[in-house]
Amino acid sequence: MSKRKRPDPKSSGSNLNEPHEKLLLNLIRSSQEKGATMNELKRDKTIPATMITRLTTSLKKKNLIKEVASMNNRGVKHFLAMEFEPGKELTGGEWYIDGTLNLSKIEDLKVKCVMILERHRHRVVTLEVMCGYFVKEEKLSVEQTKEILKNLVLDNVIMEVKSNGLNEFASTRIGEVCYKLTGKKSGNGEARAGAFASVPCGACPHIGLCSPDGVISPSTCVYFQKWLDF
Amino acid sequence: MAMSEFGIVYAVHIITVQFGSVVSKVCECLLRKGPLSSRDISRLAESDINHNQVKDILYLLIQHNCVQAFSIEPPDGSESKAIVQYIVLFNNILHRVRYNKFSRIVNEELGSECGAVLDGLLSNGRLTLGQLIERDRDSGKTIGSEAIRDSLQKLVAARFVERIPSPEPVLGNKDQEPAKKRGAKAAKILKEPETLEERVVEAATPVDAIRFPLIFEEDFNSSLADDDSNITEGKRKQRDVDSSDPSSRVIWRPNFEEFIHRLRHKACVEIVKERRDEGCAIVLRAMLEVGRPQEKKVKTDNSAPMSVGSIYEEVIKTEAGRTMLQERVEACLDQLSATSSYLPAFVTEMNDSYIVDFKSIISVAQKDEIEAVVMRRYGKEAFRMFRYLSQEGRFVDTDKIADAALTEKKDTPQILLKMWKDGYLHMQKLAITGTYVPFLLWKVNKLIVTRQMLDEMYHASLNLNLRLAHELESEKELLMLPSDKLEGPLKERVKKVRAKRLLLSSTMFKLDDAIMLFHDF
Repeated sequence: MSKRKRPDPKSSGSNLNEPHEKLLLNLIRSSQEKGATMNELKRDKTIPATMITRLTTSLKKKNLIKEVASMNNRGVKHFLAMEFEPGKELTGGEWYIDGTLNLSKIEDLKVKCVMILERHRHRVVTLEVMCGYFVKEEKLSVEQTKEILKNLVLDNVIMEVKSNGLNEFASTRIGEVCYKLTGKKSGNGEARAGAFASVPCGACPHIGLCSPDGVISPSTCVYFQKWLDF
Repeated sequence: MAMSEFGIVYAVHIITVQFGSVVSKVCECLLRKGPLSSRDISRLAESDINHNQVKDILYLLIQHNCVQAFSIEPPDGSESKAIVQYIVLFNNILHRVRYNKFSRIVNEELGSECGAVLDGLLSNGRLTLGQLIERDRDSGKTIGSEAIRDSLQKLVAARFVERIPSPEPVLGNKDQEPAKKRGAKAAKILKEPETLEERVVEAATPVDAIRFPLIFEEDFNSSLADDDSNITEGKRKQRDVDSSDPSSRVIWRPNFEEFIHRLRHKACVEIVKERRDEGCAIVLRAMLEVGRPQEKKVKTDNSAPMSVGSIYEEVIKTEAGRTMLQERVEACLDQLSATSSYLPAFVTEMNDSYIVDFKSIISVAQKDEIEAVVMRRYGKEAFRMFRYLSQEGRFVDTDKIADAALTEKKDTPQILLKMWKDGYLHMQKLAITGTYVPFLLWKVNKLIVTRQMLDEMYHASLNLNLRLAHELESEKELLMLPSDKLEGPLKERVKKVRAKRLLLSSTMFKLDDAIMLFHDF
């Protein structure tokens, strides 16, 4: 954080002792790391709405507040008191860099995670071991490691199992959270391909517009044409 | 589950293909407007079908088990006569495309002679023993009247064939029934409200002793003379028209309920085989055999409890099971009762006995089917969001979903909105004072998704049928040519049409399995 400059009385026409300015600064401070938008400030009736633009400019000049763009809507500026860092709502969280999700890093970590599971002797790895690796090697937090693992569970690539201390879980404590790969390779069954999903209609974005005698119909359907083109 | 729009269109299509457009008009009228009297049908069916024609069509549909007549008891003191109404049996219409599956079960379990008798009943709807023998005599491959009688007896004993239901059951007037005070016990056993179709079918079905008679011939009449009060729902007793007729006049029909019951069990074994392994599938098959006699209805959630001993006894009856030691069976049972984020328990253990959890097995396959569509239609991110929301089972806000699925926060609302627009997600807007943009909450409502999927699957089945008809129609002349006259490019074209027909028919077959998963199991 840059060192706060001493307000220069010459650079501004008003001083902080001006009651409205003080009031506004306190208002912005109270919103902490979330910050407050221009609209939110104007909605607070204690300061006349017409003065707010002038007051914020002056506070900015005095380096008491800063302007941060929200990652959800870059057009909307949020005012934060200088001593606060923008929160998760504004930056998007740890996985975001300059307002965009760091997808390549996430994918990279996911691949590493699958590799660990593939290489492990019993193909069962405890949460503790996973966290140990990612915290040490990848400088992730425990929370972030859990997020990556949960994401792989949602992808249906790995599964979360509680150890029962038997067979493949012999080297783990009973009740300990473990991860295993899904799919045939790891000795588990696979999810069905889906009978409906394998028909063109299952993936068709226009199924709602399709009818036997309509503009889109099974006899004129281009997806069917492609599917049946031997 | 209620009939959906495309469910109706699909059912009408099946009837149109098999019985023609006039019959399908009557059928559609009943499907869309609910139970009607024959007079109302001739008035409402949007075509100039006269009353006599309507009656003929109704008899035809009754013969093929697609319609059931019934009447409602007039209120006490009223002198008006009960009017006969006709209700269409939607499920039985859909079963018409499953006849091959039914036939296969009987051929595998009871042999080809029983299969031939069943085929006769499937294609004719309802027949007497005499008619079955006559049909056999006229066919090219006669198996003889004795064989027909024996086969029919076997089919009835296995419950694949039943006596026809009461032709016109009388339903008790619901409004008249005194409102009983429901105590805590009654509230516990309170079931979902029955549909009229279920009430009519239940009232028409005779008691088991009459439905599946054990004594088949001479003594048959005496078994019919038994108290048949179960036939009607309420107070009035109704006798079958043919109860006083000789045994050869007794009319038989296929018992679809039993076929669906078997197909449900088969599907469960298949799911366990795919998601666990062969060993677990053998053990589950044995468990289903042990529990089957106790299962009173098709859509039962759990089997009766059974011991390891009884399961093992059944396992070793099969060739594949003979190689298994009891230890292995116990290990399979442990595997079947294990839970993870990936699979729920298929079997629950209670006081050293095991119970098959049908609901959980079926729901795994349903989930696979739904998620496969979400993945294919909306992509990987949507798949993660959908799985997250299914897991949570409650309303979750957009940002939280993006965090859990690790998707770009800006793109998340669009993906969710797409799924919501197609009926795959449930959304609620939360207006917060002071913000312009409403806060959006999302949820997977399994009932809504299932209904939506089912409707789309009926739609897809209809489309596959129509496309097949279109393909065959466009190459009609080519297919009529004798195969020895086909050469060069013509031969190639015929090959292509046949390949298309094969792909379309096999897809229809599999899609129907998925429909049963959602509608019948």
